[in-house]
Amino acid sequence: MRIRLNACLDAVNQVLLGKEPQVRLALACLLARGHLLIEDLPGMGKTTLSHALARVLGLSFQRIQFTSDLLPGDILGTSVFVKDSGQFVFHPGPIFAELVLADEINRATPKSQSALLEAMEEGQVTIEGATRALPEPFFVIATQNPVSQGGTFALPESQLDRFLMRLSLGYPAKAAEKALLLGDSRRSLLPRLEPLLDHAALALIQAEVPKVRASDALIDYVLRLVDATRSQPQFAWGLSPRASLALLAAARAWAFLDGRDYVIPEDVQAVLPSVVGHRLRERADPTGHGGGALVQWLLREVPAL
Amino acid sequence: MSRPGAIPRISLTWLLVAQVLVIIPHLGHLPLWILGLWLGCAAWRIQILRMHAGYPNAWIKAGLMLGAAVGVLFSRGSLIGLDAGVVLLIAAFILKLLEMRTRRDALVVIFLGFFVVVSAYLFDDSMLAALYSLLPVTALLAALIGLQQSGVAAQPWATARLAAGLLLQAVPLMLLLFVFFPRLGPLWSLPLPSERAVSGLAESMAPADIAELSRSSGLAFRASFEGEVPPHEQLYWRALTFERFDGRRWSQASFAQLLPTPAWEKQGEPLRYSIVMQPSSQAWLFALDVAETGLENTRQMSDYRLQRRRPVERTLLYQVTSWPTALREPAASSDSLRRALQLPDDGDPRSRAWGAELKRQYPQPEQLVQAVLSHFNREPFGYTLRPPRLGLNSIDDFLFESRNGFCAHYAGAMVFVLRAAGIPARVVAGYQGGEYNPGGNYVQVRQFDAHAWVEYWQAGKGWVSVDPTFQVAPERIELGLEEALVDEQSFLEGSPFSPLRYRQLGWLNQLRLGWDNLNHGWQRLVLGYQGAQQLQLLQGWFGRIDARVLALSLVGAGGLLLGLLALWLFKPWQRERDPQQRLFRRFEQLLARHAVHRQPGEGARAYAERAAQALPAQAQAIGNFAAAFEAQRYAGGEARPAELRAHLAVLRRALPWRRVIWRAALLSGATRDP
Repeated sequence: MRIRLNACLDAVNQVLLGKEPQVRLALACLLARGHLLIEDLPGMGKTTLSHALARVLGLSFQRIQFTSDLLPGDILGTSVFVKDSGQFVFHPGPIFAELVLADEINRATPKSQSALLEAMEEGQVTIEGATRALPEPFFVIATQNPVSQGGTFALPESQLDRFLMRLSLGYPAKAAEKALLLGDSRRSLLPRLEPLLDHAALALIQAEVPKVRASDALIDYVLRLVDATRSQPQFAWGLSPRASLALLAAARAWAFLDGRDYVIPEDVQAVLPSVVGHRLRERADPTGHGGGALVQWLLREVPAL
Repeated sequence: MSRPGAIPRISLTWLLVAQVLVIIPHLGHLPLWILGLWLGCAAWRIQILRMHAGYPNAWIKAGLMLGAAVGVLFSRGSLIGLDAGVVLLIAAFILKLLEMRTRRDALVVIFLGFFVVVSAYLFDDSMLAALYSLLPVTALLAALIGLQQSGVAAQPWATARLAAGLLLQAVPLMLLLFVFFPRLGPLWSLPLPSERAVSGLAESMAPADIAELSRSSGLAFRASFEGEVPPHEQLYWRALTFERFDGRRWSQASFAQLLPTPAWEKQGEPLRYSIVMQPSSQAWLFALDVAETGLENTRQMSDYRLQRRRPVERTLLYQVTSWPTALREPAASSDSLRRALQLPDDGDPRSRAWGAELKRQYPQPEQLVQAVLSHFNREPFGYTLRPPRLGLNSIDDFLFESRNGFCAHYAGAMVFVLRAAGIPARVVAGYQGGEYNPGGNYVQVRQFDAHAWVEYWQAGKGWVSVDPTFQVAPERIELGLEEALVDEQSFLEGSPFSPLRYRQLGWLNQLRLGWDNLNHGWQRLVLGYQGAQQLQLLQGWFGRIDARVLALSLVGAGGLLLGLLALWLFKPWQRERDPQQRLFRRFEQLLARHAVHRQPGEGARAYAERAAQALPAQAQAIGNFAAAFEAQRYAGGEARPAELRAHLAVLRRALPWRRVIWRAALLSGATRDP
């Protein structure tokens, strides 16, 4: 099972060069049944990553480009009157895919954003009174462009909280970029990717991850981390219980990817920046962007043992 | 300024300030060239600070040092001794500041500064001086703090505030040490600086000496009585007696030190009082007749004065009980009588003749003494501090020619006449009267209260004191020197600004007395708090126990305090209860010896990997321990401390004890950053 997971990782890394940690985190996020927010400049490989993940995991893939005139119906789907039968027939929207890429999520109005976010949280959508279940597994990768903020609707904290992780891909290393420039178009590699897992295997793995052992000592470490965010003066606010659950779930998935059936503090530390970074604000700058410095402080100062 | 080891600007600024503050109290006794050296060096140093000048080179430094040494040699006559030592110390303090470049130099200068501050106490230990010394100490502390600050910090006042705060926090500790720290006797005797050698009574007396003393308003001692202070005219403070007369000077009998104390009988009500004596560089103490004291190393001499084994070199507090009406030596030995009858072989023939004639007229010694006294009273004798010069036969000249003089003239002449008449007599030197301070209920006696009077011996009655000055100028005895000199205007004529001259100004006098009272309290409670007083106080608190038990219990209390401090610092109750954690701590300590320190946020695995990199030879043992720890702690394995301990023992054997720490440090330094 793990061998197949590693094969998945290798396959994605073939397409997206030099981004092993981010790919691994994205996979961990998926295994932990969380959703992923990628914040990066255009052209850094966000789409490639999501597409490649969908291919190797054998998931159906849909991409929604968020724009300011996007309506909730464009995401969820609409009922269309069919003349022949004289009935309304529901046409499912792009959200009814197993892996949904919500591109530039902050370009859409809050109404459309919340339609997506609600679906992410509930795992089902209600349209015209009928509740329709979303496919299983259901994984959303949303992207944001952090630079061009004109005419955007920034996600409020409560909605950021719905994402298990926030990642940033960053520029590729020089060697990776050289390989990129020398080689084939990466997009053209995508169709050649073979699905390496099927739905049953993925479900099995997702069921295995919560069984990874988190000992008392480890839970204590998580509590110390959470407690530090609540008691130290530099934090504008502390982490919610949802955040501590998310942290533990992500750490479990990370440990699973590492081939262990127990979590160690290093696992928590590996996922900590992407899991809590978007949930923390500095007291000195509560509307500011990042909790990066705060996360570094947590990693450095909170006793791991 | 960013050079490592360079002195931060704040520190340098405060050091310059501290230098001024440290040297100011010494200004009074430093030779002038030191001031020149100081100003020159300070100016140079400031130019260096402003980058307008360079540091002195080795030749200049050597030259300055040699010059300073030669200067001390010339101005003090020696390179050793306290005076020269202090000047040398200050010269070193000044020169070191100039050549100071690194933090290490600055530390030397700062500690030198503290030493110079302390040395100022040798010259002045008054309350003002003590309070003042807080200023240079604060500045030096600020410099010390500034040394730890970054070179770009630029808030000198914040640093000074911190220093003052630290000093304030040290106050309770200071009080504790003051009360409890044992007063050790000096390990070697330190001669006092000559500037401090105050005027006072000397071992021998010519009348001019007392006139000299009368011009000084320096403090001799203060006496606090239990109960009422006796009237002014009964306050005859004995210092010593003069028995030998050579025609010019009165001096002590050559072997008076060796004689045993003659018998005396206590009579009447005793007076109890305590005296705080200023340093006199003499061994005798002041007291009313006939005095006993509990002060150690002090005894009553053959002339009933109190004498210490060592000279009084610093302020001394002692308790005295006096019996003013005691009977002294009712049956004198022939030796002591012969000493009290000694006269020079020749000279002063008229006085001798007058004595012989008196003896014929009055066979009873008492009558004879009365006759002499009434002679002084009836005849036109005058009291003055500006007596005319006396010739070779000084007693004759005074008694029959000038007839003007002060206590020393009268006492000397009377003893001479009494001896000529065959009555054993001697001159007593000491102080008379003193100024009563109602605020503190004590008497302060100044040098101008110096006095000389007479005591003569009579079979059965022993020694009896009489004061011929009283017959001439009773106001001197009843009211004090100032009243006696009202006409002459010679009271303290050398010091026009002495507040003592302006006693008629009510508020000024109040202020002066209040200030004196404060100083008295300082001397009695702070400077006078020496071994005996400390023992007394502690005995008062802890019951009647002897010094050894007290010392032991103090040591015990100190030990207890240190123990509590250690408990508080190490907090054994917070010791890790979890055996795994405890063993991991030991693992950490073991690796820390090889400079692999764990960061608080570092997990066991990451730490072990880093340690294995730093100590590749022991990587196996380190990895084994970490794996076992991880398995037990996180993988749900059983807690088996024994297994961890075994791994730890293997690791300990594998690790050399602190070998090649530097190498490990280099490696860990290179790999510490993740």
